Amino acid sequence: MKKLLAMILCIALCMSTVVGCGSTSGEGNAAADTTNQPAESAGTDEDAEEQTTAQGGMDAVAELDMSKTVKIGVLVSDSTTAESLAFQNYYKEYIAKNYNVELMYSDELVDAAGEKSAIDTFITNNCKAVISFSSFDRMAQLNQCADAGVYYAVATGTLTNDEYESVKTNEYYVGAIGPSLDVEFQAGYDMAKHYLDQGKKNFAIFGGALPYYTEMHIYRAAGMLMAMVEAGGEGANYQGATDKDGIVGKIFETATIETGSIGSINILGYVGGYDMDEAWFAKCGQMAQMDGLEVILAVGNGSDFFGTSAQGTDVKIASVDAYASAYGEAMEAGMLDYLAGKFSASIGPIFAATYRAALGSPIRNSEGNALALDQGYWVATSSEQFNEYYAVDSSVESPAYTKDMLDTLLTADYAAFSEFVGKYSFDDIKAIQ
Amino acid sequence: MKSSKGMITKIFGIGTIPVATLVIMLALCASKGVVMFETQGNWIAFFRAVTSVMLTTFALSINLNSGRFDFSIGSISMISSIVASQICISMGFTTPVMLLISLVSGIFFGTLSGLIYIIVKLPPIIVSLGVTLFYEGFAFAITDGYGVSFVANTELTSFPSVLNYSIIILAGLAVIIFLFDYTKFGYNYKALLSGQKVSVNTGIKEVPNAVGCYAVAGGLMGVVGFISATNTGNIQMALNFGSIGVMFTAFLPMFIGGFIGRFCNERIGYVLGAVTTALISLMYARLNVDSSIQQITTALILVGFLIYLNNEGKLKKLIKG
Amino acid sequence: MSKEKIKKQIMNLAPVVGLLLLYGVFMIMGTVKDINIAYGMKAIINQSIVVAVVATGAIFIYTLGSFDISLGASVATSALLGGIVYNATGSLLCMFLANIGVAVFISLFNSILASVFNLPVFVTTIAMLSVLNALVLVLIKVNGTGSEIAVPAEAVKALDTTGFKVLILVLFLVLCIFVFNFTKIGRMQKMLGGNEICARLTGISGKKMAIIGFAMAGIGVGLGAFVSTIYAPTLTKNTASSVGMDVIIAIVFGGMPVSGGARSKITAAVIGAFSMTFLGQIMTLMNFNSGIGQMVKAVIFILVVFVATFNQRSKMLPR
Repeated sequence: MKKLLAMILCIALCMSTVVGCGSTSGEGNAAADTTNQPAESAGTDEDAEEQTTAQGGMDAVAELDMSKTVKIGVLVSDSTTAESLAFQNYYKEYIAKNYNVELMYSDELVDAAGEKSAIDTFITNNCKAVISFSSFDRMAQLNQCADAGVYYAVATGTLTNDEYESVKTNEYYVGAIGPSLDVEFQAGYDMAKHYLDQGKKNFAIFGGALPYYTEMHIYRAAGMLMAMVEAGGEGANYQGATDKDGIVGKIFETATIETGSIGSINILGYVGGYDMDEAWFAKCGQMAQMDGLEVILAVGNGSDFFGTSAQGTDVKIASVDAYASAYGEAMEAGMLDYLAGKFSASIGPIFAATYRAALGSPIRNSEGNALALDQGYWVATSSEQFNEYYAVDSSVESPAYTKDMLDTLLTADYAAFSEFVGKYSFDDIKAIQ
Repeated sequence: MKSSKGMITKIFGIGTIPVATLVIMLALCASKGVVMFETQGNWIAFFRAVTSVMLTTFALSINLNSGRFDFSIGSISMISSIVASQICISMGFTTPVMLLISLVSGIFFGTLSGLIYIIVKLPPIIVSLGVTLFYEGFAFAITDGYGVSFVANTELTSFPSVLNYSIIILAGLAVIIFLFDYTKFGYNYKALLSGQKVSVNTGIKEVPNAVGCYAVAGGLMGVVGFISATNTGNIQMALNFGSIGVMFTAFLPMFIGGFIGRFCNERIGYVLGAVTTALISLMYARLNVDSSIQQITTALILVGFLIYLNNEGKLKKLIKG
Repeated sequence: MSKEKIKKQIMNLAPVVGLLLLYGVFMIMGTVKDINIAYGMKAIINQSIVVAVVATGAIFIYTLGSFDISLGASVATSALLGGIVYNATGSLLCMFLANIGVAVFISLFNSILASVFNLPVFVTTIAMLSVLNALVLVLIKVNGTGSEIAVPAEAVKALDTTGFKVLILVLFLVLCIFVFNFTKIGRMQKMLGGNEICARLTGISGKKMAIIGFAMAGIGVGLGAFVSTIYAPTLTKNTASSVGMDVIIAIVFGGMPVSGGARSKITAAVIGAFSMTFLGQIMTLMNFNSGIGQMVKAVIFILVVFVATFNQRSKMLPR
């Protein structure tokens, strides 16, 4: 009896839902149509007309009706790094309190299947847009959203040129704002150059997720190596490569950084990955304490892993991450010397673009294409500079991008929007404020 | 004559694995032109690994030997070090106080885990899954996800040294030997381990003994958390069972310890098991061995060792012809 | 029927009641919050199916009182090798066969290694977990395009339907129910899990049953890998990384005793997998933050298993 009931329940549960939901992969549309909810903002004739106008260059932006609460899903690929927590803090403590929006967060995502499940959950909950911080399969994310009539935006990253070309005219693709791979390359280059200009010659590199082929880490490392090739004197090269593409290619071949000399510059040590086991911590410790080492260049967070080992030495540590209080303390104690950090409000403009899309006024350029805008880092090289940046970055009353500033983006045309995002340096933003 | 032969067998049994491992690791490093113990940092890394792995092995084996599989030891290590470091940072306490608070909070969270087990009377593996999720979530909630960072606190990060780790190794070993070999708790533990039903029928109180085991395991993991936290000055968060990896580091030393334990006190066997794995870890670090090769090598050593252990009789027969 | 028997029957139905209760809570909360319930049900099926399939196969291992912690890594390895095979042949059938073949091979390797060398199965699977995790990294490095091995989305789109995935689950469930409940194998396995010595004395071969059990689990893993790939064809080092733990949770959530034996039931996996997903959806509707949500989930998990296995209490502490 019990077994029979259990069996019937199992099978019936599956079958009934299949019948209830339809059975094609375009089910998102079907479901959305059934309820009129996920695609509401983009589903009416009026909205369609409005979009056409918007795609024509936003000559005249309609007044936005912000009276209804808009649900937006946020795909989170990491719940525990300083960067992602700072971003979440800005959205939760500032954006959600200043706009008529309800932000839904996914769990920490670790693969493409998780992204898909999370988007399904957002669609179920009638989210009208999705802002993605997760990049396992962005094309799949976009297609899934578009099938369900949900707007999709990429935060803190960009698509590759090929990807952008294939989706730029998709009406549900809002766009991407964040550091492109060129910006990541430049961030690594600037970091290394900062020390090369000081005459430093002996470096070690922390490769972060480079062994797992995380592109932004590969490009940052490539930038560092490029600066060393340029500073290494005549004939300097990295494994035979002397230009950006060549160096990136070499890293992709081996998924590691080879130690040795680049002309007159030395790479004394390299550690990659985040194994966090005894052997890995021992590797970190021995790298930080190498004879003659002057600088550890980290493609991610360096002070947390090398700070204590480098204590009492003259080794400088440079990191790429976000503005978190722990880094301020590390800088003050001399354990962190250079920080290229994303500022938490940098995700404000992509919110504005997504929000206005959900309200029926997506922004497009003169050719009707989605946003593709670069944004870089704030670089702090002293404790004072860090504190100045951090005060603004951590503020939930008056963050770097305030409501007044973001409101201008809700009605801005592409050129104005692009100009606003392009002025991302601390001083530029202060000037705008 | 007989006793000296027995002594030689004992010494041989106790020393073979760690000494052979040391020789092999030194040879591997030498073949690459690397000195295994070159700097003070190498010694510290070695002793840290021994301490951490030894305590984790004690913690895992206490319950596992009794048939209680506990996934939660990693989460106890994380939560107790978070509680201890937050208290110490806010109150300005010194390192020994942090060690003490880590130990006490480890005992508290271990006891809580044991209490849940005896109250709900579910298989320990299931309870430990729930407890792991709960402690990970709790750790995340009380730090807003940021974990704890005190990298700039030179007082709390000054702990790593050969002397300090040696003291913990000796103290940990002494306490565990005393608890399990010289107290009523230990006698009851052994009785329950060898025959649960008979022991309970003879009047041994299983419930307090089980809670005691969880408390001791928790205390040990509290110290592991302390060692990990003071090494880098920060404690990273883990969600969705991200903390269970710690447990897997203890299986190889536990089996090695079990083998060596035939010739001496089993706890000393665990220490030597920890020494063996620490030597392997240091070799990985010194030769910068890729993590995937590390994982495969360690797994093969584990399987190879177990194959030997479980087929020792057959192998001996084979050798004798 | 005696009072005791009625009580036992009610307790046996607890996991089913638990699932219905979670379903009810989801429906009520969904209605109150005005969510798209029809789409939500489809999402729940998508989110449950891989765990349900893998866990259904794994019941054969759990029934023996064994435990395989490498199932998630096995799904990932099988999916990645399937992806490589697809990219080399362009054939979904080849990919499917590779998924099943690799998974069954890994599973059999585990059980044969354990049988031949008299190793505890659990420890073998711990070692296998490390090996497979490393293998995943190597496969991606050698055959992938950097951080992933991707099967073209277009190739699997036609199969990425709820109906197809449910069909796979139902067919596999029917096969498992047949083997487990209507052949000697199921009975022998239950007996081995319940009392190994007794079972051996009656002539049941533990090794043979372990091999059959692991083979069935391997088929489940292979099907799980196939469904995983058609659902999300971009495969990375973390693909299916949560499946291993989810399978354990699903099985106990469904009321299956982890010690195996006579109370083992094949439907526990499906009930547990769906219960788990409903619980996850309810957590989402409650909009808890990650930490609090996980704490609540943990408490509910313990409570549900506590209720579902209420009739399995003994006087002594369980081990």
